[in-house]
Amino acid sequence: MIQLEKIFKWVNSGANRVFLLQDINLEIEKGEFVSIMGPSGSGKSTLLNVIGMLDGFDEGKYTFQGEPVHQLKEKQKSALYKKHIGFVFQAYHLIDELTVYENIETPLLYQDLKSSERKARVADILDRFNIVGKKDLFPAQLSGGQQQLVGIARALVAQPQLILADEPTGNLNSKQGEEIMELFKQLNKEGVTIIQVTHSEKNATYGSKVIELLDGRIVNRH
Amino acid sequence: MFKNYIKIAWRNVTKNKLVFLINIIGLSIGLTACLLMFIYIKSELSYDKFQNKGDRIARVIMEYSFGDGTFNKGNYTSARVLPVFKNEFPEVESGTRVFNQTILIYAKENTYEEDNFVFVDSSFFNVLSGFKLIEGNPNDVLNGTNKIVLTRSSAKKYFGNENPIGKTLKLGIAQTEYEVTGISEDCPQNSQVKYNVLASFQNMKNAREDTYWNANYTTYLLLKQPGGLAALQDKINRFMMQETKEMQNVTIRYELEPFLDIHLHSPYPGIEANSNIKYIYITAGIAILMLIIASSTYINLSTVRSMERAKEVGIRKVAGATKQQVFWQFIAESFLLSCLALIASIGLTMLTLPSFNYLAGIQISLLEALNPATILAGILIIVTITLLAGIYPAMVLANFLPVRILKGAYKNTRSGMTLRKGLTTFQFTISAFLICATVIMYQQLSYIQNKEMGYNKEQILVLPSDNTINNKLAVFKTELKKNNNIQYVSATVNTPINIVGGYNIQRRRDLDEQISVTATPIDEEFLQASGLTLVAGENLTLQDIDAVNKNEEEAFYNFILNESAAQKLGWTAEEAVNKPLLMGERNGRVKGVVKDFHFQSIHHEITPLVLFPEGWYNIIMVKMNTANVDQTLAHIQKVWSEVAPHRPFKYNFLDEQFEKMYSTEKRTGTIILIFASIAIALASLGLFGLSSYSIIIRAKEIGIRKVLGSSISNIVGILSKDFIKMVFIASLLAIPLAWFAMNSWLSDFSYRIKLEWWMFALSAIVAILIAFLTIAMQSVKAAMAKPVNSLRDE
Repeated sequence: MIQLEKIFKWVNSGANRVFLLQDINLEIEKGEFVSIMGPSGSGKSTLLNVIGMLDGFDEGKYTFQGEPVHQLKEKQKSALYKKHIGFVFQAYHLIDELTVYENIETPLLYQDLKSSERKARVADILDRFNIVGKKDLFPAQLSGGQQQLVGIARALVAQPQLILADEPTGNLNSKQGEEIMELFKQLNKEGVTIIQVTHSEKNATYGSKVIELLDGRIVNRH
Repeated sequence: MFKNYIKIAWRNVTKNKLVFLINIIGLSIGLTACLLMFIYIKSELSYDKFQNKGDRIARVIMEYSFGDGTFNKGNYTSARVLPVFKNEFPEVESGTRVFNQTILIYAKENTYEEDNFVFVDSSFFNVLSGFKLIEGNPNDVLNGTNKIVLTRSSAKKYFGNENPIGKTLKLGIAQTEYEVTGISEDCPQNSQVKYNVLASFQNMKNAREDTYWNANYTTYLLLKQPGGLAALQDKINRFMMQETKEMQNVTIRYELEPFLDIHLHSPYPGIEANSNIKYIYITAGIAILMLIIASSTYINLSTVRSMERAKEVGIRKVAGATKQQVFWQFIAESFLLSCLALIASIGLTMLTLPSFNYLAGIQISLLEALNPATILAGILIIVTITLLAGIYPAMVLANFLPVRILKGAYKNTRSGMTLRKGLTTFQFTISAFLICATVIMYQQLSYIQNKEMGYNKEQILVLPSDNTINNKLAVFKTELKKNNNIQYVSATVNTPINIVGGYNIQRRRDLDEQISVTATPIDEEFLQASGLTLVAGENLTLQDIDAVNKNEEEAFYNFILNESAAQKLGWTAEEAVNKPLLMGERNGRVKGVVKDFHFQSIHHEITPLVLFPEGWYNIIMVKMNTANVDQTLAHIQKVWSEVAPHRPFKYNFLDEQFEKMYSTEKRTGTIILIFASIAIALASLGLFGLSSYSIIIRAKEIGIRKVLGSSISNIVGILSKDFIKMVFIASLLAIPLAWFAMNSWLSDFSYRIKLEWWMFALSAIVAILIAFLTIAMQSVKAAMAKPVNSLRDE
């Protein structure tokens, strides 16, 4: 599904070139559950963003489902991730002015779906996550765990094949965190490919594969 | 999708009520100003357009000279022009002469002074076919003598609810009977020809005069084809050369003016005053300026707020929104806001229309104002605002990179800082400029108000006079003065505030030097009633007035000069007395010299003036000396009804006439004051929003500074410094603009204030003070906040 070949990413600071990613070679198959680990500043999030096409890279080849991402234009990339990837964030990143229902609906708005189809899909997800009763609440009225649940629901509503999660449990207490991880495991079983960034060894154990980063390089994979 | 945009726009509105209020108030005011000006411009541009033959009508302008190099030119022609032109030039199909008069109308028991009594040819309704008759046939309502046509309103005025057709009105002192043969609709507001009553031109005894002189009438020609004025003009020029060949030194020319261009392009008025295309441009300019100022506030607030919206944009982009989709979302948002502002401003426009009419000196009804064109203009304006105000913020937001935003990098966004500073500086430059203009205009107006004019204008009642009254003048004066509150009664032709009438004077007939002067007939009480000061010689007496009414050989004139006239003749005031003097054919001597006074508006310099006895008057000035005006007025009315039962008691006060002379200046002053207030209010609103966001952005900095021991005043200073600097620069930029503009405004006055540095400094201080007050409240609040709140990291 994903092939990264010799990916380099850097920023120039004065005369120096600071590498954020160095020589990343990575292959991820459909249905895998990959955890990316490493200390702060090791490039975990950067790698995730590169995979999610939210961020570019300076050298190397990236193939996503056979499409050469390094050759795509901004618009094509956006169309690609819109169709295949769902994002989950540590800080949930819900739109404060929209209700739970509307937040979940947002990705569908950008998919040219009919109103009835949108309604059906959102209703499905609400039902599945057991948050039907909360659909008219605003994010500020929810607990952190509930907000993240909504965040995941939103990521899933467009039926992506890949979920990218950046420390999804980072802002949650351990019980809420566990519930979220269980949910991911369940989703993975249903065939969704998941890549998560995490600090927690425990969370990493939910995955089938762990990649350790240090200073922008992959130092270990198991 | 659109529904979602509107929804989130609305939620943002309700979440940030202050920002919403600032935006909506700013835009509404800007829009209202725009709508009002649009209504004004549209009304001005629509002038005379309802005349469906308008493109075939031309007005004849006369220009003449007696060979001394000076040309006189105006919208007057003699009665002869129309018949001759119709005969001579096949291009001319028809035409009408127009002569406006004030006339006494006797209807039943009441007497009226009708100001808008217009003599026209029987072809009137054929030429100006935009005027519609309700009763009567356009071809023969005015065909024949002693026929009149009333408008709907004047029919109501003179006949109440009766049908006036076939009934008669008595007109003029002679009380000649005229039959009402037709009724027309009232003249539209946007017509240069306006009448209440029309009478046939044939009724005037001069109608058949066979001369190019006595040019008292306006001639409109109806041509067979539109266009071709230049060719016809050539023919007229050649024809007039022939016609005037015999007359020595005399030049008479006629120029054709396209009828539809008159209101905005001609220096010569119609029955009512013209406007000027210059005003249209200025108005349009101001409207655009208002729009830019209002939009600037919106742009400033939107870009500053973009950091708040950044997260949303980031999420939307991650959820798959394209740049265009984000862009259109924000455009939709400013469109929604503009629509709300439009609704508010339509209400505001309706509310302010009467005051605007008064200010602009126009008469536009609500119905005329709120027509589809205005609504369309409103929609066009909001589309403009949406684009003007929405595009930049929408572009900024649409270009946000989601990665950076979602990482939290958006918090310190300073995008558009230069633009915001530029816009704010621009707003305050305009504001400071307008404040400065207001200060200077009001200085000049108070200078006019307080300037020693050299005459007295208080407690002087002005009444009309005619031959019947002039014949009983002595009785009239005696009767009036029986009331002790009446000091002087003077019959005259002009009041001292505005004397017109061109004459030539010379010392001796054999000398070649002639001096042009302004001159007017007065009576023996004019100097006292007007409060003029005699510096040498004596006042006129009743004998002096009798002396001019003898036969031509014996008539002898005693002249009163002003100092300027004496000086121009080479005399001091004392030397002038008893010197022989000729004015045209009037032979006489100088009897007295009065101190110079402003006998015209102070736009004009004091020039040589001659006051002379003539025994003919058309107004009477009554100088009172009392606080009890009501009782004195009652007395005057009683005497009036005895001496002049044929005229209604219609009077006004001289000081009111004086005020009217400067009404244009006052109006301009008020308009500029209003614009200045609006501009400064909008600019302050923008600044308020801007500074409150700047405080949010700098909250952490403020916290750190406080922890490090900074005082409150110190922090307020830091927060205000940038903004005050902008306003200061704006004020500096405004000074040369204001200096240039006001210098040219003042140069129209012969007597004017000097531009002083303090006027500019004052305006700058006012602008800076307003800006500081706008910022200070919030800054103090921010400076007093507990630093822990801002330093606690999320």
